[in-house]
Amino acid sequence: MAHITRGFKGRPRREADASSIPPGQYVVSDFPVLSAGPTPRTALDAWTFAIDGAVDTPASWSWQELLALPQETFTVDVHCVTKWTKLDTTWTGVSVDALLDGLETEADFVTAWSDGGYTTNLPLEDLTGGRAWVVHRFGGEPLEPEHGGPARLLVPHLYLWKSAKWVRGLTLTLEDEPGFWEAAGYHNRGDPWREQRYWND
Amino acid sequence: MTDLTLDGNALAGLLAETLGADLTAAPRRCASCGRVSEVGAHRLYRGAGLVLRCPACGDEAARIAVLPDRLVLRLSGTWRVEVTRR
Amino acid sequence: MREVVAETGRARTIVLEVRGWPGHVAGQHLDLRLTAEDGYQAQRSYSIASAPEDEVIALTVERIDDGEVSPFLVDEVRAGDELEVRGPVGGYFTWRVRDGGPLLLLAGGSGVVPLMAMLRHRAARNSTVDTRLLVSARSAVDLLYRGELRSLADGRGLALHETLTREQPVGWTGFARRMDAEMLMEVGPPALARPRVFVCGPTAFVERGADLLVGLGHAPAAIRAERFGPTGG
Repeated sequence: MAHITRGFKGRPRREADASSIPPGQYVVSDFPVLSAGPTPRTALDAWTFAIDGAVDTPASWSWQELLALPQETFTVDVHCVTKWTKLDTTWTGVSVDALLDGLETEADFVTAWSDGGYTTNLPLEDLTGGRAWVVHRFGGEPLEPEHGGPARLLVPHLYLWKSAKWVRGLTLTLEDEPGFWEAAGYHNRGDPWREQRYWND
Repeated sequence: MTDLTLDGNALAGLLAETLGADLTAAPRRCASCGRVSEVGAHRLYRGAGLVLRCPACGDEAARIAVLPDRLVLRLSGTWRVEVTRR
Repeated sequence: MREVVAETGRARTIVLEVRGWPGHVAGQHLDLRLTAEDGYQAQRSYSIASAPEDEVIALTVERIDDGEVSPFLVDEVRAGDELEVRGPVGGYFTWRVRDGGPLLLLAGGSGVVPLMAMLRHRAARNSTVDTRLLVSARSAVDLLYRGELRSLADGRGLALHETLTREQPVGWTGFARRMDAEMLMEVGPPALARPRVFVCGPTAFVERGADLLVGLGHAPAAIRAERFGPTGG
């Protein structure tokens, strides 16, 4: 056990009701900004979102086309592998179910890819059933670049590194292909409720 | 606009404690642009883990996963590291 | 913790005794790890302010509003407390007298701390190497080590320049604006003199200083930077 530092309290945090936050997490009230690289800046008139790879018909949406799709506003908790949890975050975006609607595929896996080169892999199943969105508003305001704007993937039931900032597309794959952090030592799936942080968890 | 990141100096303690050597003065030749910069001069990004990037071109120099009991390092480019033998 | 010394209204120097201290080089830092009663931990790096020749190890900490660690170190810790430290570390942002000069030191706010270690080391070795220090701070009350810097600058090859970016006291004769090319030209030395440059402070200050110097002809390889800032999530 580390030496306790007399008088040190740390940032305001609470161990909320143990059952309501995943193991090993603490709740924060700010919104830490984490990134693997510089913030990309893509002009909205150049921005597209694509679904490609192992699909019969690749699909693509411009910014306007994305906004014209049915939008959902919802509130979820988000969990970062670096141990902070932010409760009751409100987002607006398009359900990935809506984006996948009508697409034929035999793929079981997806690589989400972003401006700046970031990637993360997920089972296709984790992006369906109303559990994933491409979001472009946070707290009622346009998503700021440092938090992934103009649009990011949001998959709140997994650690936040799976919610790729600056997302530009989903590539469906027949084989699971580890993304940026998964290839570096982090867990392949990242379920916070089973504390799947690292590859050997 | 420049991102407000730190630099490789901020990793000095973590790397020294784990690897037994201070790497901040170690030069790395970038695989992408060829420029040689010390670890301490590289830009540091914090995501799930840590990323060091070439100060000249932004190319990834190191990707570090920080596990409770180990570090996992992926290094790219040509690093020249000197470690004192004891 | 041997003692604490107030530096300014917002900053304090913490003097430590470290078991098994191996000695350090000017410019190096310590990592402090703090553990709350529930096991929560926070870690921060602080540059060593004291010279290798000094008998004590000193860190100068400036309180950041809403900071998690600095208010604790500035307001709470007291003599007799124990802190968990790692180091000294850092092999890049360092200077020894034998490395030579001329030296150009640019300090943004608390970035002056590791540069102060270099200046104290320089003085302890009686070096008179051409050294120029530019300190940038918001207002006069934020300037660290004012008295000591003035006495070090007293005719032994050290030129001290200060710029206050937000407000200046009556009768102020220093600079009164953000660091710019003209200011750096006045501080010198010119790129021709091939000074060793050390820039330290918040990232925005460091990026600006390095860019300005490269614009004035200094070689990027001659400029060593250490960025201070929030450590993220």
